Amino acid sequence: MNARDTILQALRTNRPAPEQYPLPPVVTLGNLDASVERFVASLKLLGGDVMERQGDETLDAAIARRFPDARNVCSAVPETNGTMRAETLKTPQDAQDVDIAVVRAAFGIAETGSIFLSEAQLPLNSLAHLAQHIVILLSPGEITANMHTAYQTRPEFHTAHYGVLMSGPSATADIQGVLIRGAQGVRSLSVWFT
Amino acid sequence: MSNRPVNHARAAEKFLEDAPHLQFHDERLWDMRQKRDDQMHMLPEWQELRTEASRIKEHTLARLPEYLERFEENAKKNGIHVHWARDGAEHNRIVGEILQAHNARSLIKSKSMVTEECDMRPYLEKRGVTVTETDLGERIQQLDDQLPSHIVVPAVHKLTSDVARIFAKDYKTDPDIRDPHLLAEAQRQAARPVILHADAGMTGGNFVVAETGTFVVCTNEGNADLSATVPNLHIATIGIERLVPRMADLGVFIRLLSRSALGSPITQYTTHFRGPQKGGEMHVVFVDNGRSARLGMEDFWTSLKCIRCGACMNTCPVYRRSGGLSYGAVYSGPIGAIIDPTFNERKYSTLPYASTLNGSCTNVCPVKINIHEQLYKWRRVLVQHHEMPFVKREIMHMAGKLMGQPKLYRAAISATETALGTLPRFALYNWLNPWGKHRENPHPVKQTFHAWYKANRTDKASKTEDSR
Repeated sequence: MNARDTILQALRTNRPAPEQYPLPPVVTLGNLDASVERFVASLKLLGGDVMERQGDETLDAAIARRFPDARNVCSAVPETNGTMRAETLKTPQDAQDVDIAVVRAAFGIAETGSIFLSEAQLPLNSLAHLAQHIVILLSPGEITANMHTAYQTRPEFHTAHYGVLMSGPSATADIQGVLIRGAQGVRSLSVWFT
Repeated sequence: MSNRPVNHARAAEKFLEDAPHLQFHDERLWDMRQKRDDQMHMLPEWQELRTEASRIKEHTLARLPEYLERFEENAKKNGIHVHWARDGAEHNRIVGEILQAHNARSLIKSKSMVTEECDMRPYLEKRGVTVTETDLGERIQQLDDQLPSHIVVPAVHKLTSDVARIFAKDYKTDPDIRDPHLLAEAQRQAARPVILHADAGMTGGNFVVAETGTFVVCTNEGNADLSATVPNLHIATIGIERLVPRMADLGVFIRLLSRSALGSPITQYTTHFRGPQKGGEMHVVFVDNGRSARLGMEDFWTSLKCIRCGACMNTCPVYRRSGGLSYGAVYSGPIGAIIDPTFNERKYSTLPYASTLNGSCTNVCPVKINIHEQLYKWRRVLVQHHEMPFVKREIMHMAGKLMGQPKLYRAAISATETALGTLPRFALYNWLNPWGKHRENPHPVKQTFHAWYKANRTDKASKTEDSR
């Protein structure tokens, strides 16, 4: 017998009686507040930022104000062109010199301040991780309450090949327990509501 | 590999001698436990989540072959190659062959306990593949040639000065750096070029969804996403027990995982892989390595519910004061002590004794594994199989005789009280009495309970007492 069949056979022989362990129904528990306020509070707890509009400031102006030293702003959204379009990146490594990636999230989760990105939003998956900083466009109408509602209602989990929930910037506490934001992935994550 | 029983007690003793490391280790893990408690108190539905998680996992384990087949079918439809490995050697061979077919010489990987189980790195390195750990803690451990000492925070037993010393050697940084930010930045700068030029990337998998053919990877640093999206070849090594039936089940598990592990509401990255990226190739290697056999162990199969959060380690007084490396095994702490003996009963026969049986591990477990009861049951199994250290066996033998005969027991108790008060220290604090290490023996009492009772008993009680 090959490895696959050997393993499956052993599991069939050894498992506890299946009828004693029925599948529990899907649950929706906890706080079901899907407000922008809850999302923002959760986002900040995990080290994410909200880019506040000054007057009728454009996205370009807000990015320039937030990141005065940025040279390569790579946009995957129609709201800005940045200095380069994400569609022009050919290989995953091409994103290595990007200072700021600008992308739109499919949705956000109020409980954790997470935003969802997939290949539908990212011309290159690596763009979201090789960029030094990321600016996320999020529609306030696309916020779901918590992890239960996200997994039950968002179709993206059933369609995307690559789907990441980012909750603030990359982080580590592996050296003597000191929390460091900006470990290996993006150094900061900023949300622009639009 | 040596088959000799791990001397956990002696390794722990060494760990206890180093006060600064011990104190940091103990406090850091307890801090994680307290942050976990804070998160728990914020969710009134916490216990319901645990019950739900436990029931979903038990159901899945009882139908594991069907769910594995469903995952395989869906994953293949989405272009994922699915492989099966009976043990570590088979896993390593499969990974080696995939890499060879792509002429891949460099592999970047995120943290995966299963690859540690398989001892994969030396295997691949012998075949000319450079393996680079990209998780900061795991990289520190790789450079220091040590196993991870904790399943979530692999280098938690090290201080900043230790990391500075290790990085100075390999990254040529200043050995006197004491700012963790500078060391983390050094890791980022050293890892980037390796990531950009890697031929292949490897991750583990925290959850596997049968319904959609998805596997989920939870990390904080972003290194798993870099490993999976920069090279065009992605291999995921996953234990066969990691399945859940439905996408909706992830709601329960993702809510519990990081809250239990680090006390944060969610990991910074929760990534769902359902197929290769454009132009890429994706492989899943399912590893059994003793799991299917464990499913047949009536008292121990529920340990397969484990989601590897490490909460039981953080709360365990023995783990916090002995360090993960003292267990001499891939998995340490309470969960390690109940699964390691399934890999090698003799070698890990001492680990179920590395516990006070206080039950704290069971109380914090997000999937309700009865860890402390399994520790106790393992002791029984090991005693039946004669895997008991000589001193412990003899003492238990004497204790058994003593406890079985009230008169003898009472005489011994009163003699002990006298002894505690009169014997010289060398007779009380020696290798035969581990309770005399790092703590003082109890003060002798003037009168035993039985003597007091005899003096104060009523006549009515005395009759029945004497007739015994």
